[in-house]
Amino acid sequence: MPAPNAGFGGSNRADPALSGDGRWLASVIEQGGTSRVILQSQPGGALQPLRHLGPRTTPHGSPSLSWNGRYLAVLASAGERRLIAIEDRQRGSLLRLPLPGGSQPERLSLAPDASRLAVQLQQQGRRRVQLFSLRALLEPDRPGGIRELGGGLAP
Amino acid sequence: MLLLAALAMGCQPMALQPLPAINGRLEQAGSSREPALGDRWLAVIVGQGGRERVELLDLERGLPVPLPGLNRADAQPVSVSVAAAGDRLALVRQLEGRTELVLYRRSVASLQLLRIQPEGVPRRVQLRADGRQLAVEVSRQGLWQIDLFQLP
Repeated sequence: MPAPNAGFGGSNRADPALSGDGRWLASVIEQGGTSRVILQSQPGGALQPLRHLGPRTTPHGSPSLSWNGRYLAVLASAGERRLIAIEDRQRGSLLRLPLPGGSQPERLSLAPDASRLAVQLQQQGRRRVQLFSLRALLEPDRPGGIRELGGGLAP
Repeated sequence: MLLLAALAMGCQPMALQPLPAINGRLEQAGSSREPALGDRWLAVIVGQGGRERVELLDLERGLPVPLPGLNRADAQPVSVSVAAAGDRLALVRQLEGRTELVLYRRSVASLQLLRIQPEGVPRRVQLRADGRQLAVEVSRQGLWQIDLFQLP
């Protein structure tokens, strides 16, 4: 069944990414000579605003959502450099992750619980996937919106 | 320059922490592409000796698990995705001149062809983390669209 097109019916639409709870669908729209990530609620397809992933960070590619859609990871641009950007929709913040020198990121996948990130890199004409830990950078995003508390007792 | 670019995006750059054991395993596998993460699983298309196959790595043990009946010598994998629990994989592959979308259930090693209606050519697929829905890029009449499939 085609997904609701959110008014982009005449545009190429690629790179779908569903959140684990099924409430969110991210995809990439080709429009105005660039590629831009959009986020829609499910079902219905209403567009949801993204605070940081605007036109200044395009072209976008390879979006990936965590379990409850708290985190949206995407390939983005800063100047002429490609990088990985992760928008934390709960905190309204953006994490920007540069990659080792000389390698170009082509695809990414965020683990459902946001603990790891897999990145497809191109380096010297060769494609290879590398895995990274995000445990020191992101809080987990687990089913049911359960968040781990830090040390000590909760108030 | 990099710092200026970071400030333009309204954030500070952070460092990624590589996981050397699994990255070493991927290096040994040859080329690798189209990564898809579950909670403790990494599905990936690996290439060696001019042929590509789907591999599912158990990230806690650092080893691939068997996928009987999924890889075929005459099939070319295009895109793969895995559910969080690692029990289901969705695959787009080229086989006998056509491009098809299949669902693989690991516990019973079964492969199910998913028919795309209206007809179109699939490319990238993503399986929802709970394995109950998938989203796939489909080309129809020169336009890329996204289809959603509910899965039993």
